[in-house]
Amino acid sequence: MLVPIFTLNFKHKVNPHMVTIGKYDGIHSSLTCATTAGKVFIHSPHNRAERGGLMTFSNEGDLSLLSINQQVSAVCAGKLNSNIQNDILAVGTPTNLLVYDIDKNTDLFYKDTPDGTNAIAIGKLGTIEQPIAIVGGNCSLQGFDQDGNERLWTVTGDNVCSLALVDFNNNGQNQLIVGSEDYDIRVFREDEIIAEMTETETITCLCHMADSRFGYALANGTVGVYDRAARFWRIKSKNQAISIHGFDLDSDGVPELITGWSNGKVDARSDRTGEVVFKDNFPNAVAGIVQGDYRHDGTEQLICVSVEGEVRGFNPASDEMRGNLMDTNVEQDTIRELSQRKQNLQMELRNYEENIKAGTAASTVLQSRAAAAGGSGSVSAEKLFPPGMEYNKIQMGIIPASTQLQTTLTVHEGDETKPPHVELFIATSNDTIVRAVLIFAEGIFEGESHVVHPHLSTLSNMMKVPIVPPKDVPVDLHIKAFIGYKSSSQYHVFELTRQLPRFSMYAVCDTNTPQPKSSCVFHVSERMQRVLMWLNQNFLLQADLVAEGGILNVAFMSLRGAGPLLFQMDAAGQITIRTNDMDLAGDIVQALATFLNQEDLQTNVDFPDEMEKLREVLVKVDEYQAVRQKLTAEMADHSNLIRSMVVRAEDARLMGDMHNMRKGYVELYNMNRDLVNGYKIRCNNHQELLSALKQVNQVIQKAGRLRVGKYKTAVINACRAAIKNNNVNALFKIIKTGAA
Amino acid sequence: MMELNLTRVDYTQVGVTSKKSMRLLPTSGKVQKIAIADHDGILQLFGMKKGDVQHVFKTSTSTKLARLELGGPVGGVRERIFVSSAAVVKGYTKKGKNFLTFDTNMSEPILSMYVEGADLFTCSNFVFNHYHDCKDANSFVCADNISDVICLPANMVDLTPVLACQDRVLRIIQGSNLLYEVEVPGPPVTLSLYGNNGGDEANEVLYGTSDGRVGLVQIGKLAPSHRWELPNEKRNGGVLCIDNFDITADGVLDLLIGRDDGQVEVYSYDDSDEPIHRYSHTCNESITSIQGGVVASAGFDEIVCATYAGWVLGLTSEQQDKAMGPTQVVVSAAAVNKISHLKTDLEQLQQKVTEEREKYQQSATSNIAISAVPGFNINDKFVLNREDASYTLSLELQIPIDNVLLQSDVPIDLLDVEKNSAVVSYSACNPEEGNFLLATYRCQANTTRLELKIRSIEGQYGTVQAYVTPRVQPKTCQVKQYQIKPLSLHQRTHVFDENRPHNTLKLTGQFSQAEMHSWICFCLPELPEKTPPGDEVSFHFMSTFLDTQLECKYRKGDAIFRSDNISTISILKDVLTKEATKKKIRLDITYDINEASIPYTLNLIHPNLEYQLLLAKKVQLIDALKELQVHENDINFMSPEYRQILEDAELLKAEFKKQPCHLERLYDILLSRLTRLSKT
Repeated sequence: MLVPIFTLNFKHKVNPHMVTIGKYDGIHSSLTCATTAGKVFIHSPHNRAERGGLMTFSNEGDLSLLSINQQVSAVCAGKLNSNIQNDILAVGTPTNLLVYDIDKNTDLFYKDTPDGTNAIAIGKLGTIEQPIAIVGGNCSLQGFDQDGNERLWTVTGDNVCSLALVDFNNNGQNQLIVGSEDYDIRVFREDEIIAEMTETETITCLCHMADSRFGYALANGTVGVYDRAARFWRIKSKNQAISIHGFDLDSDGVPELITGWSNGKVDARSDRTGEVVFKDNFPNAVAGIVQGDYRHDGTEQLICVSVEGEVRGFNPASDEMRGNLMDTNVEQDTIRELSQRKQNLQMELRNYEENIKAGTAASTVLQSRAAAAGGSGSVSAEKLFPPGMEYNKIQMGIIPASTQLQTTLTVHEGDETKPPHVELFIATSNDTIVRAVLIFAEGIFEGESHVVHPHLSTLSNMMKVPIVPPKDVPVDLHIKAFIGYKSSSQYHVFELTRQLPRFSMYAVCDTNTPQPKSSCVFHVSERMQRVLMWLNQNFLLQADLVAEGGILNVAFMSLRGAGPLLFQMDAAGQITIRTNDMDLAGDIVQALATFLNQEDLQTNVDFPDEMEKLREVLVKVDEYQAVRQKLTAEMADHSNLIRSMVVRAEDARLMGDMHNMRKGYVELYNMNRDLVNGYKIRCNNHQELLSALKQVNQVIQKAGRLRVGKYKTAVINACRAAIKNNNVNALFKIIKTGAA
Repeated sequence: MMELNLTRVDYTQVGVTSKKSMRLLPTSGKVQKIAIADHDGILQLFGMKKGDVQHVFKTSTSTKLARLELGGPVGGVRERIFVSSAAVVKGYTKKGKNFLTFDTNMSEPILSMYVEGADLFTCSNFVFNHYHDCKDANSFVCADNISDVICLPANMVDLTPVLACQDRVLRIIQGSNLLYEVEVPGPPVTLSLYGNNGGDEANEVLYGTSDGRVGLVQIGKLAPSHRWELPNEKRNGGVLCIDNFDITADGVLDLLIGRDDGQVEVYSYDDSDEPIHRYSHTCNESITSIQGGVVASAGFDEIVCATYAGWVLGLTSEQQDKAMGPTQVVVSAAAVNKISHLKTDLEQLQQKVTEEREKYQQSATSNIAISAVPGFNINDKFVLNREDASYTLSLELQIPIDNVLLQSDVPIDLLDVEKNSAVVSYSACNPEEGNFLLATYRCQANTTRLELKIRSIEGQYGTVQAYVTPRVQPKTCQVKQYQIKPLSLHQRTHVFDENRPHNTLKLTGQFSQAEMHSWICFCLPELPEKTPPGDEVSFHFMSTFLDTQLECKYRKGDAIFRSDNISTISILKDVLTKEATKKKIRLDITYDINEASIPYTLNLIHPNLEYQLLLAKKVQLIDALKELQVHENDINFMSPEYRQILEDAELLKAEFKKQPCHLERLYDILLSRLTRLSKT
């Protein structure tokens, strides 16, 4: 059994996700955690660093506290200067990034990050020579080198939650893996997206394992491992994974995925299979897991920190343990597993035997029923055995063997009583009833499943299940239907899987519908048949579409109220997508390009409404910026005023002039109230600014999604440049044509 | 004290087993043999030789075997095996010779049985029978379900059978009459003689309850005396079996306990003969039988357990050092043999199953064929926990569970259970379709047992249904129903404080005693289905949440309910009138509302409410105070009250965690009290 090699207790709370470790003097490792009240503490048991500057010495031995005086949102230690061995510490707050040299106790740089700092990663990326500190904010990614120069800027689909640097395509260079709130894992080669994987929840953690493998964790309690874009395995727990880390705990040469859970559990899982090889329990939630040479003996330990500041360090397993970290008895386990399998098979066999017996017992009744039915159609298996008979007593689940389950998916445009939805129709082929239907599918329901359990009086042999997928993603519906009779207490479970196509929330409509103002035009050198095939696969259609007269022209109506969608393709291969929804157009472009294997695709777009909105947002951003400056100036004025007021009031008090003193303090009180109000306005202003900036980033991202490959990167970079130069007209032009 | 270090070894797997259906035969030679009876009707006696099962005999009957006991001459060696199947008791010698088949001719199956010399004691649901030399000697009809029976050693004291009854009492029988009742803190389900012989005076009995408590009672000639009681603080499962065996090898018999959540526990006794916890092991399956002995290898003591799914396993003191390395596997030859044997078995079985599966699938083309899948056994339990006033629903199968769908037509809350690793997902539901809760539990591989916690609201009643789907082909699911009664948070008790101010509800009308009983059964948990004997019946209840009490006294045409809690009375009135209207029976209702009862119950709530409020407030402050502590080096400037909170922070948090939503529930109760008050 693997036991901790050291334990510590910091007696400080540790914020979840905010634990890192660095060698700030180049030699000794120091655990660094963010704690409450905007502070970061550094545990340096081996060397007592000089104190001063931001740092204060705490009375508890080896801890030093760093006052950030703002809410800390991320911490990360790493080397920013490849010539020096020292690690530096990067601390992110909702508005800033502070990069600090602990050893010298000085700031390296301090940057405003108006998009927030949700995650930080430090290391080398792609062909950028110097290591950079990468900051993931609301829809944006920024990279800074050691002098604080911006080396990277790009946008991503939604708020960034997690970052990791992994050599994704095994080319000897790191790629950036980004997990965001829109359930997507994106892989960036510098500023170009080279892969996108859709998950089922917000990606809360990412970590590098070995080679091109990386681990991920979702907000719904899923953890798993990807090798490049292929998922090896995943498991789901009812707890949430707070921290994941790749570490070779059993000394077999491959790192395991170490997960710290919200219930205090820590487990190590094999990167290949997900099998648990080790587990330990903390009394509180785990805050972070790192690795480092903490005993200064040349080996790296796995270090786990709980939210209450409890620390445990584990050495990798020694040879004597032979990789067995859990005191398991393998032969006993094997025997147990085999016996369990044997028993399951025996049960199954028994089921078939009993089935035959019951069949024989019921044959006369069945034959007479079949004769009564005139030999055609199916025969009911309800109440086969008279009450009191043995077979009636044991309450078997009996249905006709020929029972079949039919399912169809249709688009339902909704009426007064029901909103528009996709309808899953389930029916049995005879008089058996559908007692309940369970649909397991990720990402489209509140939880992972949806249940329909009608009232006993309304049961019939069919059921209609409305489904409203919130996003345009293809989903596998794992359907379990309980089939039996009204009097049954045991039902047959029919299991089947149906795929819900990506664009299922669009109903075919008349092509004469008023055309949307916006459009997206591009050219593909592909046969129309291929495009037709894509349409047939990705939309829910009653009948397959066909092209008439060499021209493809279809119209859909969005069930989510985003208006009509027109899809046209002429004989020359020019495709026109007309919709007012820029997101939808982007989704179609991306999905179609993937299907047609188009690596690069340039499009011409025109979204007047969206552009008008963007213009408004940009105007607002300017306004907010101006207000912010004004407020800051006001605040400075006020603080000066306050100072003089205090002096005046105190003077009055010393001179015994109570009247003036009171007057002075009343004024002071009013001024203070003004200041507080001013602060509130500033806060609101800042929030507004933040959301406006996010909208801008999102539009750029959407514009990028309308192109594929290098054109996509080009658009994003050009947009960034235009925004930096405050050239709004150029920005519109770029979005429209894809180039400046 | 030496630490106990036991290793689990699995011996074999049989069919589903009932409580107390495995025993070890007394030592003959170096090792003992295991006798076990299962629901498939198979009785077997086997020993272990080099890790292999060696059968002495194996017999099979068509009906399920519910109980296995050992018997022998009074005071002598117990080596005759008795099993009960339905209403028949069979006896076998240790060689397997069937020397006795005795049909008791009872209409109900025997659920528990005990053999003492030539005396046989059997119990069905309500009836206790005593046979001497297979002749009827005595019988007794009990007011509530009997869950176990035992008899004090006949060579030491008079023949004294003890019945464990569902209504929280042990009934001591003399002849055909009740000698006296012993109240115990929970519904007793299992009995065992202390030290296997009843102690020095041969009159001490250990009992285990379904809410997880264990106690020792001395059965005196005239009155009982309670020796000790182990509370169930960790909220472990109910006790199913108890044994006494010196596993710690210190010369004193230890207490072995098997629980329905798979816990095996060992307690040894301290100087004052109070039990202290020494060892726990978790099996994840109900432990139905437990006994200490020497089975696998001579000289090594072990605890042999049987589980619900039929596993027979040993927790042995013999060290088993086998481990897998990164490359090689070190396994003993015996185990290799066993594994390869199992593998060939599996292959054959697999082939057979594949053939049968094809046949089954072919039948789908026939018009008149049926697909009939037999039911599977579900070992379920739905009990009220006194500590946190919530219900625990546990479901256990012989085969792994795939998923469970929980549906309720009353508003209930599901609480998180740490033991359960299944992924829960709530589905949106429409009360108009009769669904107030729809939740799926998707189980991890190899889960055979699932435990759920449900919190109900008094006054809201209905049914909770669980659709259980196991992982076996052809896939089927079984529905189990559980009633949430109108007064779901009440518990049977035997004390009633006459000094409290009471409200009275009096009902008179044309109803029979049985009708009234069925209505009361509908309202309150823990009542026998059968109408108890006697012209007038009375039951006492206590609210687990508020400690208020209720008395029901009824006979034909007349029923009186008294409670210090006006809500209880009001709920009863609502439900009873509704039920009576269903049966078209007119009820005359008279109230007597005691004004003093309202302040009285409010006073009962008040200290609790105040305490909870204070606790909530303190817990709220902890984080802020901690932050201050980080800022300031010296916390002496704080008021002593705050410093105290900081010091006790962990304790406070733990306590707050233990009672989730306690405060909200109290608020709810106060609110509903107000509305009820305005109604009545």
